[in-house]
Amino acid sequence: MTIDAVYLLQLTLNGIALGLLYALIAVGLSLIFGVMEIINFAHGELLMLGAFAMCFALPVMGLLYWPAMATAIVATMLAGFVIYEGLLVRLKPDEFERSILITLGLSIIIIHVMQYLFTATPRMVDSQYGFDGVEIGAIRITWTRVIGAAAAVAAFAGLYLVLRYTQFGRAMRAIAQNRDAALMVGIRPRVVARNAVILAAGLCGLAGAAISPIQLVTPYMGQFLIFKAFALVIIGGLGNIPGAVVAAIGLGLVESWIGGFFEIAWQEAAVFVIMIAVLFLRPDGLFKRGGMRVG
Amino acid sequence: MTALLSVSDLRKAYSGVHALDSVSFEVAAGSITGLIGPNGSGKSTAIDCISGFQKLDGGKVVLAGTDITGKPAHLIARAGLMRTFQTVRIYERLSLRDNLAIAAQQFDQATWIDEFFRTRRYRDAVEQSEQRAAELVDLIGLRKYYEIETGILSYGQKKLVALAAALMPHPRIVVLDEPVAGVNPSRIREIEVALQQLNRAGETFLIVEHNVEFITNLCHQVIVLEQGRKLTEGTAAAIHTDARVLEAYLGMTPEMAEAEMRGAA
Amino acid sequence: MKLLLALLGALAFAALPLVTSSNYIIGVGISALIFTVAAAALNLVYGFTGLLSFAQLGFWGIGGYATTLTVMTFGGNFWLGVVYAALLNAALALVIGYPILRTNRHAFVISTLTFALLVALIARDWVTLTRGPLGIPNIPRPQAFGFAFETTPSFYWVAWAFSVATIGFLYALCSSRIGRTLIAIKQNEPLVRAQGISPMPYKLASFAIGAAITGAAGGVFAFHLRVIDPGFLDFYYMQTFLIIVIIGGAGSFWGVIAAGIALSALPEALRFSADFRMIIYGVILVAAMFVMPTGVAGWLRERKIARMRQALQ
Repeated sequence: MTIDAVYLLQLTLNGIALGLLYALIAVGLSLIFGVMEIINFAHGELLMLGAFAMCFALPVMGLLYWPAMATAIVATMLAGFVIYEGLLVRLKPDEFERSILITLGLSIIIIHVMQYLFTATPRMVDSQYGFDGVEIGAIRITWTRVIGAAAAVAAFAGLYLVLRYTQFGRAMRAIAQNRDAALMVGIRPRVVARNAVILAAGLCGLAGAAISPIQLVTPYMGQFLIFKAFALVIIGGLGNIPGAVVAAIGLGLVESWIGGFFEIAWQEAAVFVIMIAVLFLRPDGLFKRGGMRVG
Repeated sequence: MTALLSVSDLRKAYSGVHALDSVSFEVAAGSITGLIGPNGSGKSTAIDCISGFQKLDGGKVVLAGTDITGKPAHLIARAGLMRTFQTVRIYERLSLRDNLAIAAQQFDQATWIDEFFRTRRYRDAVEQSEQRAAELVDLIGLRKYYEIETGILSYGQKKLVALAAALMPHPRIVVLDEPVAGVNPSRIREIEVALQQLNRAGETFLIVEHNVEFITNLCHQVIVLEQGRKLTEGTAAAIHTDARVLEAYLGMTPEMAEAEMRGAA
Repeated sequence: MKLLLALLGALAFAALPLVTSSNYIIGVGISALIFTVAAAALNLVYGFTGLLSFAQLGFWGIGGYATTLTVMTFGGNFWLGVVYAALLNAALALVIGYPILRTNRHAFVISTLTFALLVALIARDWVTLTRGPLGIPNIPRPQAFGFAFETTPSFYWVAWAFSVATIGFLYALCSSRIGRTLIAIKQNEPLVRAQGISPMPYKLASFAIGAAITGAAGGVFAFHLRVIDPGFLDFYYMQTFLIIVIIGGAGSFWGVIAAGIALSALPEALRFSADFRMIIYGVILVAAMFVMPTGVAGWLRERKIARMRQALQ
């Protein structure tokens, strides 16, 4: 097989775009884990809700991309708020198994209620950009992908600034690094945890909105992605945000390259194989968890 | 008396801070040895390293002639060193009977095949374990709770259960991590008597404790740690009047200590 | 007493085909028996040993495919297939169990989950072996000594014998010193180590036995459905096993058995639509985690302890 440089570059760019979307999901999971030490099984459903919100908002907004995306993000943040205040707030720290079972139950409910209301028929999402693309030489990428990737990068920059420079970001990092000490200096864990869940939900909503014009929207779309995100969080080291980002972009690239040259089955299996291999070599993930470092 | 447990040049650092800086001491067979020191002096780290619950950076631990340095915790226990924990650890959702039976089961010869066929070996092992459990339950005075989940017991009673469990397999040495911390003062005397009784029967103890009175009453030999180093070592009486110990540990001069003791008396 | 009740229950279950001639009801009975076995195996792993394993779904699927392929592709018979399924799963569980049991419990849960998904992907994509999404239809019913268990009632007895045997085995295991040690590991692992017991072999054994039994149950279930496709690895099965264990009370042997029978029969009896059933399951799961996190058996037990506490004061 001859490797065509342009084709390879195209795969690489696609891979980065895909990896950034994975990163949005994985970072949210990591954020919640860092602050609450729980895994949110319903995280994929937040993404699905974001995608559905985009799907319904676009026609209302006359196919305008940005207002629809903002609607989707606000909608998922609201969902995150409800989930936290309704369920997660009752969890004590170190109730890991219980958190999984509760959020798993929640995920089952959300998926099947959505399926009951809107059926399992996949939906196509059309936006003002349609399927137009940008062409650089022989490489062609659709606008929706470019914008999705750019939005993700902007979101990470925003997240970095929030964690690094705001009061509430510092409180989150403090709790992730040393819970007892954080409580002693008067940080209220409930407020911080709620904010973390809302923030993570917003990132997920952004991912859902960005992905909806690229992929078909179904009630099950979150499940496929979330399982990959779980693996990514493990690979990157639980609770380690930069680790999750690096692992996510790495996976996007690997998947895209494999998908370009081999059967699709290998592309899907890659993440699991990588995860098992990483766990064999480094049980704590590639980047050991050192609290929530942001740089 | 010969040294049953001998610790030499024990070293352990957490990210550059020396928790243990070349600590050496010995525990004589048949003795009750106390290990005291102010908070953060390295007592708990020392026994965690000895019992295999933390990796040590250097040094040597010998139990009855066998080198147990850096072995995993369960192998050290099998070699004859049983320990309790500072925050009491028992199986809260199992009965006192099961708590004691599990503590002994690794030390009998019965395998799961023996159990399946209920062989003589299995029946003997169970009978012996029951007998030992009965003795210990009487000693700690919890007979009426024998069949009941230990979760309902008081904190002091749980400490007694942990002590009894550690004694189940007739270990060579029992390491007690703060056996009377948080225990109702009226019960401390009972624990003292029980430990003395066990010691007269030949049991060796290494005790980490904050309660100076308890240590003074009980211990033949006392080792004092300060900031990861051994400050001094001697009989309980000698330690009690040692100026360095009083300063490091209690933050007072011998005169003040004496005044306090007179006041207490 | 409990054993006597269990024996009576088992005999009553054996009589089901004698009291009804409805293949539908007997079919529900078969599902109930097999789900109960799978839930009891999960109870061994999660309830007793404290390992929340989603890998059970993968083992269930591997068992189903291994048994089917033994008969359909490799020319063996059903009985051999079930044994192969159990052995293959036990071996696999040892191989993947060792690295993932060394990690922390968070990573363990997620790794088992990804294992289950990997199995589902293989079932879908390894077309030359599994025939992919088309699945393998027309699985024949088993035979023994010239007798074919051709009808649903006769296959019911196969499922019955299988579940009585495996539940009996699991009971013997859970009530032995090994079972007691597993509970001890779940409650206080450092203490177990301080008492000279190495937790790893126990955890591995529990994981492997749970895998073997789940796999065998999957094999029997495939021969009940008489068709296997990647839908066999639907997350629905895992959720069902989990809900049975949670409602029955993780760590309570008979509680889970009773919940298995009750919960697999109920949705069938009420004839909910698939979506509606899943919504109910989800609500039950969330509600149970808040109202009675230790299940029915745990709830009863806590009341008993509260009474004891009062009596002692």
